[in-house]
Amino acid sequence: MWYKEISKDSDVVISTRLRYARNINGYKFPNIMQKKEKEELLNKLKSLNLSKEYNFFKTSDIDKITLLSLVEQHLISKELVNLTDTGIIMNKECNIVTMINEEDHLRIQSFESGFDIDKCYDNLSKFSNILESKLDFAISDKYGYLTACPTNVGAAMRVSVMVHLPALAKLGLLSKIIDEATSMGLSVRGLYGENTSGYGNIYQISNRQTLGLSDEDIIRKTKAIVNTIISQERKARQVLKENNIYLGDEIYRAFGILKYAKVISDDEALKLLSKVRLGVSMKIIEDVSLEKVQSLIIDIEPNTLRTILKKDLSKEEEDIKRAEHIREELK
Amino acid sequence: MKCQSCGKREATVKYMENINGKKQEMHFCIDCAKKLGFVDFSSMFSPIFTNIPDFFEDLSLKEELKCPVCGYTFDDYANSGMFGCPKCYDTFSDRLDEIFLKLHGKNRHVKLKEANTNKKEYVNKDKKQNKEDKIQELKEQLRILVEKEEYEKAAVIRDKIKNLEGKK
Repeated sequence: MWYKEISKDSDVVISTRLRYARNINGYKFPNIMQKKEKEELLNKLKSLNLSKEYNFFKTSDIDKITLLSLVEQHLISKELVNLTDTGIIMNKECNIVTMINEEDHLRIQSFESGFDIDKCYDNLSKFSNILESKLDFAISDKYGYLTACPTNVGAAMRVSVMVHLPALAKLGLLSKIIDEATSMGLSVRGLYGENTSGYGNIYQISNRQTLGLSDEDIIRKTKAIVNTIISQERKARQVLKENNIYLGDEIYRAFGILKYAKVISDDEALKLLSKVRLGVSMKIIEDVSLEKVQSLIIDIEPNTLRTILKKDLSKEEEDIKRAEHIREELK
Repeated sequence: MKCQSCGKREATVKYMENINGKKQEMHFCIDCAKKLGFVDFSSMFSPIFTNIPDFFEDLSLKEELKCPVCGYTFDDYANSGMFGCPKCYDTFSDRLDEIFLKLHGKNRHVKLKEANTNKKEYVNKDKKQNKEDKIQELKEQLRILVEKEEYEKAAVIRDKIKNLEGKK
């Protein structure tokens, strides 16, 4: 899985996602599509004859725990799971994932670990070109790619970068930086998108404007701002390092709880893992790899944990098994 | 109770008529009620956001626009924040400039790159495409007219289609 790797700027950036919204001429938008029309579109996409690398699934054919685990891995949206007659086209590496019949007919997404917009864009445009050669996308000269919601029209592209900003948070600088990024036309949200606060100091930074800007414009702008935030976070980490003993104490206490706890909730585990992630990135903790911490952040989520252990758990069992899993991984 | 118009479907809509002070209650199915013009659902569930003066200055005076493809009205858009189909962008284009300016700071997209060959072909085919698009559009209109049982108008459209197809 791509999220288990580490890559460019992984000390601060967890992952990069690019997403195109695309619609197909001749169909209404999913918000007013009848069941029959949605099924027709699903069948059309199923029979596209894509290379073997890509698999098509109807969401209804996948069990709920697996689906929710995909949400926890940020590969699909919660809305996709809640809506009916939706589908997924996913490649084997799970880094090119298309949602069907979500808000738009197609939401084509590409993922990379760390901060790598260029690679994401390369993968995204290659796959969307394949789709575009087989499907009649709704495009207008005036407005570019047409989308169900006009907030996405135009380039219809959204860049989302998931960043870990514990040092800026610790120095109390986060709200200032969020305000500044917002005034530059980006939005900053919590881990699971809209209306979630910064769980574990993890934030999603994404572009708002999509009309009148080319893909390149959007990428350039987002890159510049995220790069600034990355260097600010690194600077903040340098500042913190000067008071090493207190920071080290806090990080090792978190590490200690994770290594020895017998029962732990996902919220508590995430908060502690966030501290350990900082410690590993700053080389305060050296006997655990960043890959391991990064995987744990997702693996401890309720549904992903269940898919890893391959069984359903009651809430109590879940917290016990989670602690067991973390202990095992951090041994 | 069965619909008082078609007598087949179940009546789900109640209509009160007042004739010379004499009240009369009638029951229809939704389809008949719409056909008979008794119910205009979109105006009954009147829009919540259309009253924001900033957004919709003096637009309320204009007659209700309806998308010929999906039947969406501007009120539907104002209520849901979403369009019904790609064609809506054409249907409501008069009203979109201002809204897009507020949402994106711009209201026109940059020229999309014709980088891949597929799109280049599209440009070459443009003229032919235009005609085919037009035929498609007319066919859609025809379908709607037939559905509404407006056969005279439909005949005119049918001739237009024949004409265009003949010139292929």
